[in-house]
Amino acid sequence: MDELLQEFISETQETLEALAGEVIAWEADPADRDRLDAIFRFFHTVKGSCGFLNLPRFERLSHAAEDVLSEIRAGKRTADPATVSAVLGIMDRIAELAEAVAIGAALPQENDDHLINALAERDEKEDEAPAAAEETAAPVAVARASGGQTVPRTIRLPLSLIDQLMNGVSDMVLARNELSRKLRERTGDPELESAFERLSTCVADMRDAISKTRMQRVDRLFTAIPRMVRDLGRDLGKRIDLTLEGGDVEMDREMVEMVVDPLTHIVRNSIDHGIETPEQRLALGKPEAGRLRLEARQSGNQIVIEVSDDGQGIDTARLVDKAVKAGRLTADAAARMSEAEKLELIFHPGLSTARQVTAVSGRGVGMDVVRANVERIGGVIALDNRPGRGLTIMLRVPLTLTIIPGLIVRAGGLHFAIPRAAVVEILHDNNETLQISQVGGAKIATIRAVRHSMIDLEDVLGMEKPGQQGPRAIMVVRSATGVPFAMGVSAVDNHEELVIRPASPLVMATGVYAGMTLPDNGKPMLLLDAAGLANAARLPNIADDRAALLAHEAEDAQSRVEMVSALRFEELSGERRLLKLSVIERVEDIDAHLFGRSGGRGFVRLDGRLVPVANGHQGLAGEKVAALRLRDGSREACYPVAAVLDIVDMPAVPDMVAMHGLLSGVAVIDGEHLEVLNPFALFAALPGEPIVEKDRGRCLLADGEDGWTREILAPLLRQAGHEVVLGLPADAVVDPRDVVLFSGADDVRATEMLAADMLGCRVVHLRATPRPSGPQDSSIYRYDQDALMAAVSGSKA
Amino acid sequence: MNQLYLLARLAGTRVAVATREVEAVVKLADISPVPGMGAHVAGLSALRSRVLTIIDVAALILGRRTPAEDRGHAIIADISGHSYGLMVDAVYDICQVPEGELPLRGQLDPAWLPYAGGIVEHEGQPYLLVSLSSFIEAGALVQAAA
Repeated sequence: MDELLQEFISETQETLEALAGEVIAWEADPADRDRLDAIFRFFHTVKGSCGFLNLPRFERLSHAAEDVLSEIRAGKRTADPATVSAVLGIMDRIAELAEAVAIGAALPQENDDHLINALAERDEKEDEAPAAAEETAAPVAVARASGGQTVPRTIRLPLSLIDQLMNGVSDMVLARNELSRKLRERTGDPELESAFERLSTCVADMRDAISKTRMQRVDRLFTAIPRMVRDLGRDLGKRIDLTLEGGDVEMDREMVEMVVDPLTHIVRNSIDHGIETPEQRLALGKPEAGRLRLEARQSGNQIVIEVSDDGQGIDTARLVDKAVKAGRLTADAAARMSEAEKLELIFHPGLSTARQVTAVSGRGVGMDVVRANVERIGGVIALDNRPGRGLTIMLRVPLTLTIIPGLIVRAGGLHFAIPRAAVVEILHDNNETLQISQVGGAKIATIRAVRHSMIDLEDVLGMEKPGQQGPRAIMVVRSATGVPFAMGVSAVDNHEELVIRPASPLVMATGVYAGMTLPDNGKPMLLLDAAGLANAARLPNIADDRAALLAHEAEDAQSRVEMVSALRFEELSGERRLLKLSVIERVEDIDAHLFGRSGGRGFVRLDGRLVPVANGHQGLAGEKVAALRLRDGSREACYPVAAVLDIVDMPAVPDMVAMHGLLSGVAVIDGEHLEVLNPFALFAALPGEPIVEKDRGRCLLADGEDGWTREILAPLLRQAGHEVVLGLPADAVVDPRDVVLFSGADDVRATEMLAADMLGCRVVHLRATPRPSGPQDSSIYRYDQDALMAAVSGSKA
Repeated sequence: MNQLYLLARLAGTRVAVATREVEAVVKLADISPVPGMGAHVAGLSALRSRVLTIIDVAALILGRRTPAEDRGHAIIADISGHSYGLMVDAVYDICQVPEGELPLRGQLDPAWLPYAGGIVEHEGQPYLLVSLSSFIEAGALVQAAA
């Protein structure tokens, strides 16, 4: 008997749920016989069943409803809104009673008479003013875009049985994995392996099928909506055109349950605050009936549920006003907020745009609760506000609570899982874009100029941090609420689809774990909760403080002096100095031997030009010298330095001003006193006229055809920076600065050389033998490089 | 009154547990620690596809962590929907006790007070009757919250 009763109750409850939508649809189209029949059948079944189950109240209610419906079927009555309301009232009461019976509570002691009378009363009123009834009607037209009427055959199963099945399959998978490990250790037997392979496939299929039992059509989420929309519409005198789409999308049963409340609230809000009354809408030039559209679709491993209306949208100005009045926001902070930030205010507790608290919404349960509920199940909520034209609220929730893509991280010798959705990026701590600094125990990770609070997972969980070989991994973690933060772990090991199960309340009480998972190796692993970690580490939630931060920055900009970029470098003499970045053309490494000195001034040979060296350094050690290339617009200069450090902001006017000399003052950067070079003095000190090359003439190689001259001497001289001319110029235009080199010993040459000598240029005579031929022989042995170079450079040997 | 009791030694004390609370007794294998928790949570352990939260009952009562090498058996219990393993020093027997539960006599160590409900006598020896769920609800959760 108990079993029969139980079955009757659950069947009744289920049919009621499904019928609520049907009744609304039938109201919109009273001619729809199919729907009327379905409703009639329901009451008929209930009446029949409760007769022998001894449930007199059920019987009486259903009997009354059946009577009215049969009259309508017979065409004696019309399905006007009041009748429908009365029928719905009876359905509600039956649901209440069923609920009470199901949980074994006492039946609610209410009189059912007024409900039954409501059905009967209609008869009289209808006669009086049938037209009026027509007007008050606010039927909700329900369009189900994918409303296939055929329902697949189903059976009812207790949930515990399905859970048992799930567990059984999980055990099976683990057993299979162990078997597979054992098989791998032994020698391969192809027959055994193929049999095992088949078993494996079966187990995998089974697991898939079982996990489908957890899935439910989103339709179930939508069943209560039409009824709610209708009732609300009537209460508020609004006309609503409801569209439901994507009811056949499937999602996890638990997830459906978690989404019902937020969705209900959003729909309520939309009707109460969003959609205007028909009069207002007409005045605004909108269609009289407000359009409300619910759409569900699958997007990757997420379900997107969109609720859009064509109402008035969110009035952000009013929202800001309220927030300011409530003392949550200062007026100037509000003035600085962007539109998106203003819209965010809707999620703050206690702020509602409703001008007055109505029975429908605005009872303290606000969007903050909605968001909290959505985020608790790993979802996100987004708004698309079109002021005056409507609002779209988008819920994105994971397909299932139980399987999520996750990263396996190692810390303190243990493995942990973290939802992949929470991880923004992963870097190694030796990455160049990452800089970790410590101040007063706080760690700050600067990644590409964005500063994040940083924690090490080991520290938060109170673990030892074992020394390790390679670099540590730094993950930028974003929780559903709060700002992203950086988290250091030993390594990120793997990426897996994880089957998450709830952890015991004991473990959850730590606040840093979101659940646990049992990977194939059979060692349980904990799932980290990003928001919980941030809380546990007591990380500052700067996002809350953004208005203040902005204000602070704005103040800074006003109170502080103008800042200019400057290059911080180390002089060859060791001091650290600053130079305005704008006068520096570039920084480059220059070969040390290109630096020279002439007439008391240093210069450097760059790209075939001589460029003055601004600080007069020479005798530079090493092969390369870092040098700043400076330019004042027309002239350029070179400034060799020991090292280029970094670019900093310095005040345009140094903190201590010196009016003369190479230094314009001293600036304090990061607590360090740095001398600031005066670019004016730098350029002023440069020689006025461009440097002409005085002591470096051309090298005229007299024996242009000689192999040794051409292949060995010429490249040597070129390499040393000399301009080389093979053969004597035909027109014999020889500059006094030129150097003539000849290696032949014949007299003709010698005479020519003599002539050249008379022109005033130096002549270098090279000989092939190491020893001079006599005391008068001023020639140089051609492989005596030092003597040769000295002779060519002019410092006569 | 012919109740079945599991007789065991727990934190050096003889205890009896009503068998309706006990699901199984297993030898503990690998325990994965749960960092960030007090000593009373020894860690997680897998029993087939179930994950057990292993409670170091001795640590809960005496405030001393049981060394890893002394970990022997655990009583498996399902407490408000979650599976727990409660570590015990040794398990003696499961037997029927004709007299059933006897009232507590003498002054009980305050550390045991939240968990003990009475005495069970078996072969002339008194056993402290403890409730497994009290270890979780009165002990571990309270400590976790503190």
